[in-house]
Amino acid sequence: MNRLTCPFCGPRELREFEFHKTLPEPGSSPYARVYERVARLDESTEHWQHVLGCRAWLRVRRNPSTDAVLETTLLGGGAT
Amino acid sequence: MSGNLRRGTRLRGETLRFRFDGRDYTGQVGDTAASALLANGVRAMGRSVKYRRLRGVLAAGPEEPNALFTVGTDPCVIPNVYAPQLELTDGLVARSQNRWPSLRYDVASLLQAGGGFFGAGFYYKTFIWPSWHAWEAPIRALAGLGTAPRDANLAPVPHEHSSCDVLVAGGGAAGLAAALAAARGGARVVLVEREPVCGGELEFESGAIDGQAPLEWVRATLAELDRLGARILTATTLVAGNGGEYVAHFEPGGLPGCSTMYKIRPKQIVLALGAVERPIAFVNNDLPGVMLIGAAERFLARYGVRIGKTLVLFANHDRAYAAATRLVAAGMRVRAVVDTRPADAVGAAAASRRAALVAGGTECLAEHAVLAARGGREVRGATIAPLATPSATRNFGCDALLVSGGWGPSVHAGTQEGGTKRYDASLGAFVATEQPAGRANAGGANGILELGAVLADGTAAGRNAARVAGRGSDASAAPTGAGDPAPRLVPFWRSPADRAGEKRQFIDYQNDTTVADLRATLEEGFIDVEHVKRYTALGFGTDQGRIGGLLGAAILAELRGEPLAEVGTSRLRPPYHSVAMRSIAGLRVDENLRITRRTPLYDWHLAHGGVLEPMDLWMRPRYYTQNGPAAYEAGIVEARRVREVGGIVDGSTLGKIEVAGPDAAAFLDTLYLTKASTIKVGRSKYMVNLREDGMVLDDGIVLRLAEDRFLATTSSGHGAHMLSHFEHYRDTEWSGRGVTVTDVTEAWAVIVVAGPTSRTALNAVLGASWAESIDALTHMAFARGLHGGQDLAVLRASFSGELAFELHCRPAIAVGLWESLVAAGLQPYGLEALDILRVEKGYLVSSELNGQTTPADLGMDVMIKLGNPCIGRDLLDRPAFREATRPRLIGVRAVDGRGRFYGGAQLTAADAPNRPCGYVTSSVYSPALGEWVGLALVSRLHAEGAVLTARDPLRIGDCAVRLTSIVHYDASGGRMKS
Repeated sequence: MNRLTCPFCGPRELREFEFHKTLPEPGSSPYARVYERVARLDESTEHWQHVLGCRAWLRVRRNPSTDAVLETTLLGGGAT
Repeated sequence: MSGNLRRGTRLRGETLRFRFDGRDYTGQVGDTAASALLANGVRAMGRSVKYRRLRGVLAAGPEEPNALFTVGTDPCVIPNVYAPQLELTDGLVARSQNRWPSLRYDVASLLQAGGGFFGAGFYYKTFIWPSWHAWEAPIRALAGLGTAPRDANLAPVPHEHSSCDVLVAGGGAAGLAAALAAARGGARVVLVEREPVCGGELEFESGAIDGQAPLEWVRATLAELDRLGARILTATTLVAGNGGEYVAHFEPGGLPGCSTMYKIRPKQIVLALGAVERPIAFVNNDLPGVMLIGAAERFLARYGVRIGKTLVLFANHDRAYAAATRLVAAGMRVRAVVDTRPADAVGAAAASRRAALVAGGTECLAEHAVLAARGGREVRGATIAPLATPSATRNFGCDALLVSGGWGPSVHAGTQEGGTKRYDASLGAFVATEQPAGRANAGGANGILELGAVLADGTAAGRNAARVAGRGSDASAAPTGAGDPAPRLVPFWRSPADRAGEKRQFIDYQNDTTVADLRATLEEGFIDVEHVKRYTALGFGTDQGRIGGLLGAAILAELRGEPLAEVGTSRLRPPYHSVAMRSIAGLRVDENLRITRRTPLYDWHLAHGGVLEPMDLWMRPRYYTQNGPAAYEAGIVEARRVREVGGIVDGSTLGKIEVAGPDAAAFLDTLYLTKASTIKVGRSKYMVNLREDGMVLDDGIVLRLAEDRFLATTSSGHGAHMLSHFEHYRDTEWSGRGVTVTDVTEAWAVIVVAGPTSRTALNAVLGASWAESIDALTHMAFARGLHGGQDLAVLRASFSGELAFELHCRPAIAVGLWESLVAAGLQPYGLEALDILRVEKGYLVSSELNGQTTPADLGMDVMIKLGNPCIGRDLLDRPAFREATRPRLIGVRAVDGRGRFYGGAQLTAADAPNRPCGYVTSSVYSPALGEWVGLALVSRLHAEGAVLTARDPLRIGDCAVRLTSIVHYDASGGRMKS
């Protein structure tokens, strides 16, 4: 994994992106959301920002054990 | 010394002069340092790292473990250059490594003569008194490879990014066949070859391809590849692969860190990296004059170097007979070919060569082994015995001992990223098996060692790669050929030896790992191959186990009594060979290491004595040189002037985020501890943001520009982060709502005008049209309008405790406004004075926002009580945050009004002098008060008035301090409200 595909810009070098966090399990308590994030070997859902590009926020699903990116979707986009 | 010019495929006649270890030699154009030295009769080219054993060239490529040179003269040197790859240039200066005072007489080598060998773990076990650290420096001075240059003064290494259909790594028979097939299919092909010319083993192998001599076919193939548009990068080594991107380093002349790093992203890659020949372990197998058979063949074919007059060859395969035949044909005497296999294991082609060798006077011994190399400083003979009766030794005189234990397919690049390998008993080596999509091995890297099969394998891999890459499939005839016979190898790893001999059976030359080390390591309980590697250093160093890795694993398997297939080899990791740090850095060095953000006043500051310092990516003036010789003195002058007269400071680096839309107010309410929705249009509020865990993230002023429009300012160092923070909430929790977030940091320059004369100066500069609105501004109110036809907002806010205004203006008028203010009598001040003014007033600087402080810790209890349900609010009520010993921000001053204390000093109470109850976060010398004042985070058990000791033993010692209000100056705030 040294590239991510931005929905606006296409495949770009990883260095243009910034990792933000691994998403907590749905329904986690406020405490768990901050402190009990689970690092899963098979699949990880994360938030990344194309910070040195179009600045889009992305939800990235990937497999940390193979480094394969499974899905990249745009967050937000509803606001004008 | 060599009067007659040698002939070799790489040589081009002319004579060159060069210098090695202080002596002058000659070589020829096309020579490498190793070949030229060998031609001059120089064999010793280095000493080993640990035992300082004198060493010669073992191999002819980057797997060479011994002959590593330092090139150039101090301070512009390049260390650890592979001598067999270092191309000779006229006037080249090189020296050997790991010796003092000279290669021939090395003081440290006397250690081994006197005290015997240090086994594995020797250092850890021996130098334990008083501690390893006491010994580390002198031992490290003896150990290690070359020394890093103090001033390389080399140009930065450019990185070239490119893509192609098919990348072929390796320009030997397999790689050329693969590149040809792919290019004929229409693929855009890039081929990288680590040598300066393509050919690989075809440089010396006997045989024919498509009816041509092998090198003729190489020339024809390169010409066709050129016509088809393929890009051939020679002297370029594939060093790493990562996520489909391959890094290849162009090292012209064999010098690392001097030229381009290619980052190539192919659709398909064919790894045709060949196979690396390995030695067999026997006693004193590291004497100069012991060399791999393939290396001797390369030195002969490429450079016309005869490695000795009388040779003994030691091998476990049929190729040794083909090699011996060529060496005899070149005029060398082969005294004996020592084969570990039974006579009937030899194939028909090799057997006929053997018969011819015997007829020519070479003794060919089956089921024999070389037990030891004989000689002091270099090989003088070999001790040979039948494997069945090792005590029945014979001594053969020879001046070179050539050894080959087989070939390890070069699976390095293929297994870095998840490819697997399996043990192949017929090769005595691991070959690549499953490869991830987009990658294939070909030829020797696949364990295929016969020329005809190699060509077929390369062609198939190239065709397939072109097809998968979406190009056509080549239907023209594949090259066919035949060369040296199949090796018919029977694995053989080490000759018989007693325990004393095992100490001199070298496995990893560069790390001086011997069979005895492996035995000792097992006895001490290190069994796994990865543990053995780390305990003995087997497989470390520049050759990364290419010489000794497999050999070591095989002997380990033997000692453990388990199959090699199960013992395995240690994991191969990038880079493939040593890469200079400068090559990795590329152009991102010095001022290009990171971008620099400049305010519109940047040039003015530089032109007027400003001494700039980085803050995040910004450069801001710390002080102005006309006010003092250094930051401390100038800061005091500038701060005093602000309080007495006034001053201006460049605040353009503040982060500025415009938040707009019908939901803007509600959006900001969730981002800040207090509500933005209660701010009236035309007014502003000091607010803080929390992290999700409740810690204070940042602070700043939020201005309400209109009902649905706000300007949020952030601290200078956090601007980029806060922008991402706002955008993240806009696109997650607030997705679909009516709010926009726009970075306007660089759309507005900010000039802060502070001090008792600030209003007067401002009115003088802005003129009558602004006078009324400025006079009407109350604290935290702002006015907007035009100045010089450009937007301007004037906010009355203060971080200095003085009457102060922030001018938010367009960059175009920033310098003009600034110079007008200077003309009106206000001098600029820098960050040093800014900090003094802030700490005097108890305003947070930056060390208080350290990610460990809650709003309550910072005295913001009033803000919390408002109960705004913002981000981080729900984690603020955790019990630990209410503990009695929780640190809280408090003021601190010397008890006697004269003492000094610095930020970072630990605070202790008299009843617990060794257990700090807090620490000083910021301190300044206050010109207004004439003493040092500071802020500190101290346990809530200690209230204002308590006397503590500020302890700073490494800088200025102890100082008795009293805890005070955080506001040191003008506690009533009268100056600010005037």
